[in-house]
Amino acid sequence: MSGMFSTRVIALMPVAIAINIVLGAIVQQYLKLPIYLDSIGTILVGVLAGPIPGAITGVLSNLIWQYAPVIGGGTIGPFAITAGVIGLLAGLWGWLGVYRPRPASGTQLLLSALVGAALVILVVLPIINNPAYTNPDIGGYPDWVYTAAIAIAAIAAVVVAAFIYVRRDLAGLWVAGAGIITGIIAAFVSAPIAAIAFGGVTGSGTDLLVAALRQGGADVLSASLGQGLFSDPIDKTITSFVVFIVLAGVSVRVLARFPLGERLTGGRSA
Amino acid sequence: MEDALNEAASRVPDYVLRPVDGTYRRLNPTTKLVIAFSAALVAFGVRGWTGPLVVLAIVVATAAVTRIGRAMRPFVLATIPLIASILLVNTFLYPGAEDVLLRVGPFAATGTGLTEALQASLRVVAFALSVAVFSLTTPTDDLLVDLERRGVGRRGVFVIGSAIRTIPRMVERAGEIVEAQRARGLDTEGSPLRRIRGILPLAGPMILGAVTDVEERTVALEARAFSAPAQRTVIRPIPDSPAQRAVRWSAGLGAAGLVALGIAGILRFP
Amino acid sequence: MTVPGAAAPLALSGVRYQYAGTSAWALDGVDLTVEPGRILGVVGPNDAGKSTLALVASGLAPLAIGGRLEGSAALGGRETRELAAHEAAQRSGILFQNPSTQLSGTAHTVWEEVAFGPRNVGLGLGEIVERVEASLAALRIESLAPRDPARLSGGQAQLVALASVFALRPACLVLDEPTSQLDPEGTRLVGEAIRRLAGELGSAILVTEHKTALLARVADAAIALRGGTVVARGTVREVLEDPALIELGVDPPPAVRLRRALAAAEVDAGAARRTLDALAALDVKEAAG
Repeated sequence: MSGMFSTRVIALMPVAIAINIVLGAIVQQYLKLPIYLDSIGTILVGVLAGPIPGAITGVLSNLIWQYAPVIGGGTIGPFAITAGVIGLLAGLWGWLGVYRPRPASGTQLLLSALVGAALVILVVLPIINNPAYTNPDIGGYPDWVYTAAIAIAAIAAVVVAAFIYVRRDLAGLWVAGAGIITGIIAAFVSAPIAAIAFGGVTGSGTDLLVAALRQGGADVLSASLGQGLFSDPIDKTITSFVVFIVLAGVSVRVLARFPLGERLTGGRSA
Repeated sequence: MEDALNEAASRVPDYVLRPVDGTYRRLNPTTKLVIAFSAALVAFGVRGWTGPLVVLAIVVATAAVTRIGRAMRPFVLATIPLIASILLVNTFLYPGAEDVLLRVGPFAATGTGLTEALQASLRVVAFALSVAVFSLTTPTDDLLVDLERRGVGRRGVFVIGSAIRTIPRMVERAGEIVEAQRARGLDTEGSPLRRIRGILPLAGPMILGAVTDVEERTVALEARAFSAPAQRTVIRPIPDSPAQRAVRWSAGLGAAGLVALGIAGILRFP
Repeated sequence: MTVPGAAAPLALSGVRYQYAGTSAWALDGVDLTVEPGRILGVVGPNDAGKSTLALVASGLAPLAIGGRLEGSAALGGRETRELAAHEAAQRSGILFQNPSTQLSGTAHTVWEEVAFGPRNVGLGLGEIVERVEASLAALRIESLAPRDPARLSGGQAQLVALASVFALRPACLVLDEPTSQLDPEGTRLVGEAIRRLAGELGSAILVTEHKTALLARVADAAIALRGGTVVARGTVREVLEDPALIELGVDPPPAVRLRRALAAAEVDAGAARRTLDALAALDVKEAAG
């Protein structure tokens, strides 16, 4: 059986889909945070088996969560496109060996930690300086939006740097980068969907942010994008780290049997 | 020998055949799926009042015929937070709208905003109900048997079917973990950092378990000849007809056509 | 029932196996044969290679999990390395410890679960119905047929899994610690099923177990495994009463332990015989728990 859809991958996908839906539902109902955590399974499959299985996992998760009896309902269905893109990207990162442990120490480690922090700040700056937040012609924006964004960026930078340094592993840098990029792309894909299908809102707490952005003069699409650029990078980075930490704890023997296993282990032997 | 086998074939128990009752329910499941997707496409893609209202009319009529009115309630109720948000954010904060209807504090409700809000709400309700009709009239198993025959294959069908059946079990296990966490102080009300820190003990075991379980599941599938090349025997024949084929093609192409024409500006409805 | 000269359902000769990505030999020279209707028990400490032996005996190693197999592993005369995974599944079926991961997870009813294997190989509908009915009957679980497989007790689920494996009509059945996650009742049911499958239906059965009392009750012959090699073989009585078993870290059945304790206490022959009769009854109870 072709590697990409070997029995092993076929056995993994249903569990990954279930994880997406169950964790996503728990976070939605109990944890009330501006994150979703409904793509852990998607990224897991992408990293282990490649872009196409990853994409299919994402799309099926959304469709099943929308249409299956008992589980179904809600309005997650149209975002299947975003889920597919996330899976594709995860496959790309897996293929590029982003999730491979890269032990380091001393100056190299310290430097990488600092680079990680700088990376976060660098990436956040253009987002914060998005006209939706800053263009005075549009009418200005509520101060708390800008302050909140800076605070979150600072915390994220510290967390990423600490992660790299404490684990003595450069991979943290790559994983953070992968998570942020995935989040940004996801936000860009989701914004039009939210704007076209759902009047630019999501029905959750982050709609306050959407309202604030519109108050500042942003149009429907920009406001949606502004909200997405806030939630998605955080969500996808946390998700990527969770997947990374868990995979780091799986034995080489088990990892090696997956299609992209070699790229995860970097040829380590048991 | 032949006769014995033919006779045996007629001994498939009813609890396996699970025959369905009712004209709409007895339609081929793929037909119902295509109808649901077409309805979604029209509801979201044909802008203005007409699209969603037509879909709503069709859905309500189908619901009446299949007597699922009561059962659709949870699907509608689930959309209330979203609709509330759509109405509020769009009525009061619609960018560029000048036709003010009334002022509430610093916010101004506009006619344009209200129209958009109502249309968006209608779209959401029409979509949710189209999903409800599908979910409530189509046993998943029937759909999967039919899709397998149409080329999704045993692997795709296994992924979907297994995912759906894994979810309830996973929810139970997750529920146990959440309860244990609560007893140990996982705050569902506490600070965001606290809540995020509570996720890893929940997500971690779930994902680790998934990856290590895959080995057993893979082996178990192979042990049941899952990779055999033959076409899987059909136990429960799902009927189809040329008339339904025609319905599927016209519904799908019609919906896609309407949306495309709308985008091209050729055909616009009120 | 055995056709003279027919190849044994399971015949391993000089078998060595190495898991993919490792350099140690998990099995290092194993010879064994199981004929139709016979039950061979396998005992040994935890890392002896019992589970590896089960995977090799069912063909899943190397067909489903890769790795390196040396020597001859023949199922009904065909080498496993020459077979496809689904062909091996129809010659040698396997039952694992954990009921929930080996049920397909896609069947609404036990009936459909048992039909899963036969459906996969594309048998005709009539043939499938007959096999399902026969498998349910062989395991005495006809009453479970309409039930949801996800809502069964451990023992019931194991019987369903066993029936599902049996539905592919393999000549050989490999059971890897089938009762380790079961309660006494479940253990008893599985033990009875094993005896019936071999005795009445002629299956060749290989069972790895920690519960030596169970093996004492059902197996004809046994081997002891350590470090991937066979260190003792004989009738089940011979192997289980071998004093060296304790060194291996294997608990002999309670009957054997008590026999030794009585001898050590120099209890007289008559009392010993009466006690032994009572012990035989204990064996039965212990096998159930």
